Amino acid sequence: MPSDADILLTASNLSRVLSDRAAVHDINLTLRRGDVLGLLGLNGAGKSTTLQLLCGALAADTGTVIVNGHDLHDEPLAARAQIGYLPDLPPLYPDMRVNSYLQLCARIRRLHRSAVATRVEAVIEQCQLGDVRRQRIAELSKGYRQRVGLAQALVHEPAVILLDEPSNGLDPQQMQEMRELIRTLGEQQSVIFSTHLLAEAQTVCTRIAVMHEGRLVADRAADGSDLGTLFAQIVNTGKTDDTDLASRQSRVDANNRDAHL
Amino acid sequence: MIGVIARHESASLARSPQTWLIAALLAGLFGFLFLQQLENYLTVQSQLALQDHPPGLTGWMAARFLAPLAIVFTIIGPLFAMRSFSDEFRLQTWPLWQSSPVSTTSLVLGKFLGVLLVMTLLVLMSILMVIAMRIFIPVDFGVLASSALGLFLCAAACTATGLYFSSLTRQAMVAVLASLALLLLLWLFGSASLGSLSLDGLKHLSIAEHISGFFQGYLRSGDILWFVLFSALFLILTIIRLDALRHTGH
Repeated sequence: MPSDADILLTASNLSRVLSDRAAVHDINLTLRRGDVLGLLGLNGAGKSTTLQLLCGALAADTGTVIVNGHDLHDEPLAARAQIGYLPDLPPLYPDMRVNSYLQLCARIRRLHRSAVATRVEAVIEQCQLGDVRRQRIAELSKGYRQRVGLAQALVHEPAVILLDEPSNGLDPQQMQEMRELIRTLGEQQSVIFSTHLLAEAQTVCTRIAVMHEGRLVADRAADGSDLGTLFAQIVNTGKTDDTDLASRQSRVDANNRDAHL
Repeated sequence: MIGVIARHESASLARSPQTWLIAALLAGLFGFLFLQQLENYLTVQSQLALQDHPPGLTGWMAARFLAPLAIVFTIIGPLFAMRSFSDEFRLQTWPLWQSSPVSTTSLVLGKFLGVLLVMTLLVLMSILMVIAMRIFIPVDFGVLASSALGLFLCAAACTATGLYFSSLTRQAMVAVLASLALLLLLWLFGSASLGSLSLDGLKHLSIAEHISGFFQGYLRSGDILWFVLFSALFLILTIIRLDALRHTGH
């Protein structure tokens, strides 16, 4: 039976309007330890903006985010220390070597100096970067860069891992390895990853939240039978049935309330 | 945390061939100017001896060799600082800092100190040339120390200015040009006039007005405070600008 102590992330009534990007409206999410949540939606649905709001890279207009007991607004540093974030383009310094880059990331995530070497070793092994650890990032293939990006998000053992389309640009084998890794991560931490592929989300996730035009229109178990229909409707018509949207939103909110209680 | 960021910033500058190229050019320039002023001193030494209070060699070098270097540091401060934030935006590494438990103040101070460390090494390089004369003649360390402090404060102010403009744009060159435009304007303020109307009030904003005393061996607390406040102003503006990015989103 999951307890409140297992709740690692709560987002309540999160909204943000941006002039040049997808806005998000009234997002409610609760994530427990062991959850792997797929944030599914078309391009421009607001997935990346939502992840930016959850990691604190972007300030919300309204709403709160609580990460492992720390309010992102009131205790931003403590909350951000609990988050590992991989943006859609991995934040890499091309002139650095993999090893040094991960050491830097560990240090700026407030890992104690004595723990840095151990953790860097661990993520290098976890993300299979042993062969390229002394190479400059500029010399790496796209697949390896993505893995280095993932390693920087994991190096400080965050409670919540946010991955923005982590399998983008990877070949099928690398995609498979990435999915396997995300599943493993979900065993101890909680993971949110965005994708526009329903099949990918169903393969990796325990839950899927569908986003459309900045709103969460579904949040349920990954094997939910109507997810395919709903997503197909969004893909084919570019919209959900408006009369259905309000009831879906209220169901999402009710699910989150239940999860919170 | 500030130390970690400062080390990262100075290491990043050290990895850049551009830094080494600028350092090599400066070494050449400093050497040329030093030898030129040394020769000038030897030429006029006999005439100087007729004066009531002739300047010593250290005083001469401080006024004729080190003082003009303040303009050089005004130019290279923004050159070294230009990539600090512009590159973070251009390489899309900015989310790494935004999502990390690093305060904007620590980030700005870390980057400032990282660039300033490299600038300080260049200041030391110029001072060491004058100290090298000690092998042959006595050197006035008081004048040298105040000159070094003047150059250091000027370098700090120009680095802070460069850092601020770097936070405004992803185009490093735009950041450099904007910084230089402002800093050169501040150098010129001391001699500003509008037709017959003299703009003496602007003298107080002039870098030239506040730095000249250091090369004569005078340490005025007002001048030191002016440079500290100038640097602090641009560092605070940088912090405000970067904090605003979380709200504006771009």
